[in-house]
Amino acid sequence: MLTVNNLHASVDGKAILRGINLKVNPGEIHAIMGPNGSGKSTLANVLAGRDNYEVTSGEVVFQDQNLLEMEPEIRAREGVFLAFQYPVEIPGVSNLYLLKAAINSVKKHRGEEELDAMTFLKLIKEKAALVEMKQEFLYRSVNEGFSGGEKKRNEILQMALLEPHLSILDETDSGLDIDALKIVAHGVNTLRNESRSMLVVTHYQRLLDYIVPDYVHVLAHGKIIRSGDKSLALELEAKGYGWIEDHASAA
Amino acid sequence: MAGLKIMQVQPDTMLASGTQFYLDQFEQISDKLPGQNVDWLQSSRNNNLARFGKNGFPTQKDEDWRYTPLKPVTGKAFNLKSAPTSGVEHEDTRSQSALRPIPGLNCHRLVFVDGFPEMSMSDIAGLDGKVSVRSLSEVLAEDPETIRDLLDSVVGESSHGFAALNGALHQDGLVVMLEEGAILSMPLEVVYASNQELTLVQPRNLICLGKGAKAQIIERTVSLSDSSCLHNSVTEVILNEGSELDYYLIQDQSRSSYQVCGVWARQKESSRFSCHTVTFGGGLVRNDLRSEMTGPGAHCDMLGVYSLSAKQHVDNHTTMIHGAAHCTSNELYKGVLDQRSRSVFHGRIKVEKDAQKTDARQSNNTLLLSRDAEIDTKPQLEIYADDVKCSHGATIGQLDETSMFYLRSRGIDPDVARSMLTYAFVNDVLGQIKIEPLRDYLEKALGEQLIREKKLFGQTK
Ligand SMILES: Nc1ncnc2c1ncn2[C@@H]1O[C@H](COP(=O)(O)OP(=O)(O)OP(=O)(O)O)[C@@H](O)[C@H]1O
Ligand SMILES: [Mg+2]
Repeated sequence: MLTVNNLHASVDGKAILRGINLKVNPGEIHAIMGPNGSGKSTLANVLAGRDNYEVTSGEVVFQDQNLLEMEPEIRAREGVFLAFQYPVEIPGVSNLYLLKAAINSVKKHRGEEELDAMTFLKLIKEKAALVEMKQEFLYRSVNEGFSGGEKKRNEILQMALLEPHLSILDETDSGLDIDALKIVAHGVNTLRNESRSMLVVTHYQRLLDYIVPDYVHVLAHGKIIRSGDKSLALELEAKGYGWIEDHASAA
Repeated sequence: MAGLKIMQVQPDTMLASGTQFYLDQFEQISDKLPGQNVDWLQSSRNNNLARFGKNGFPTQKDEDWRYTPLKPVTGKAFNLKSAPTSGVEHEDTRSQSALRPIPGLNCHRLVFVDGFPEMSMSDIAGLDGKVSVRSLSEVLAEDPETIRDLLDSVVGESSHGFAALNGALHQDGLVVMLEEGAILSMPLEVVYASNQELTLVQPRNLICLGKGAKAQIIERTVSLSDSSCLHNSVTEVILNEGSELDYYLIQDQSRSSYQVCGVWARQKESSRFSCHTVTFGGGLVRNDLRSEMTGPGAHCDMLGVYSLSAKQHVDNHTTMIHGAAHCTSNELYKGVLDQRSRSVFHGRIKVEKDAQKTDARQSNNTLLLSRDAEIDTKPQLEIYADDVKCSHGATIGQLDETSMFYLRSRGIDPDVARSMLTYAFVNDVLGQIKIEPLRDYLEKALGEQLIREKKLFGQTK
């Protein structure tokens, strides 16, 4: 599914990712944890194709293709989805319009029929119900005036609609109350199958209680300094990051 | 010949530059213009001609025209047609897409081509007895006295050279008169099409609403070819007590055409005037929009949207005169500038001494899509009353990069994303268009234009 080899990226000449290696197989869920500012969102954004990051070396192969050469919209159509840590408010563009434009550009790319208005509406109502989002949110401007939790649910709604092969969830759990967390996790788990993979960036073990990862990685100072199974997250919860960072710098 | 006398008393040396050509045209054509047998109109034409000959066209030395280079217009010689085009060309023009009705819009319709009414494409049947919609030539031929005190009563002598040129050499136009309490049941669409190269089109419109009357009028200026024409119009609007007019100016001429559009309104007590300009086309477009609120409690909206690229230039020059107490006005102009386009906004608000409790708002917001585009915006507030609320503001911004990435990360094409965001920017102005099929039509036209521009010119960032 996804192979990241020795990925280096910088912003304004400042190195942020300093040699990331990661292999995600179909159906796997990988959790990425790590201290603030360690480069988790940078990795997520570089994978999604945000252009203010400069990839200085390394490669990323996604489904046998060179991901880094693709424009962001092509990545999305090929099945990469980024749920933003800070979803963007777009006044004047209706949520429904965005969703329709998105699904139809993905369909078109796959050589499928675009959805007519009726079919689309039926589908989107179904997906909105999955994340327990009231229909009025579909008719509002994208994320404008949405609460923090509503924005995150809107991201999951988009994901559920687009059915990506690789979902990157950047702190989708931050700012969610317990109920919303369960709703989001339910949305994610519904999508989960043996061919879809996920990268879940989070600070908290509690999300991983609901979305159980196959692997947990710790990112610090732009590198993955430790990988393990789900028990690593529990260990981090108990001990913090200090002990691994010491380990890593001693090594 | 009517103009001859003036020509003789005014030696050439006293003529302002660029005017001779049009004075000569007056000589040649004045006996073919509407209203031949109407003395008062002839003297009005002569007065305007004299004023035009003396003052000429405005120049950039004139503060009101400072940011708009007129050389491309005044340096060319545009010809007023003396008779409508006929024959084969005529058949061709009738099938042009620019003349097609707006989808889903039920309306009365008047079409003018190169200044002449095209009755075969017009439809003003079934009007209420208290409503009169006619061409100016018809009114001047049948009962000119009905408009004697109205025509030229709002524009006045202080107007600029283009208005004087129109006053002297105007052709046909639209005359709408609604009696007290009359309501225009459907919108009225007037289309001014220019066709032949270097044509001067000079429409003259008069809209007069009696007490409590209501009307919606759409005026579209279009080109039937790539020809370079000058469309120089004057519209006078007289709104009596409690009357309401929604007036939409849709400017979509070819890129090689020029348009100088003057709208002069006078509003009595509690009348409401709403003037929307939507500018897509035209090489150079100047709008002079002026409303004088002479009765208390009147309200005026001036709303504008423009989307420009290549070297298009649009100058919106507004004058809002609060001449009585408790009047409100709202101006909102939003523009999207791409490539080397340029826009000018000049908003003058004058609050007279007795106009207490005035509430006047003005704003001009610009979205720059290219580094080479340019904007000049200038508010001009003259306030002589003490109990007033006046606000003005201008913003200039670029497309938000994060929003662009957000949309693209959902699989949306950058061109489409751009047009979505651009459209969102002007949405609140277009959203105020009350005629739904017109709004849909413009939303679609704007979207298509934004995408087409990208295809033609590529990314300009
Ligand atoms: N556009 C940018 N300009 C300047 N610095 C940036 C930019 N983007 C990221 N950085 C810097 O890169 C580092 C990594 O940021 P990143 O957002 O990837 O961290 P993170 O691991 O996601 O942190 P958090 O847990 O707080 O979300 C930070 O020091 C941040 O300030
Ligand atoms: Mg982050």
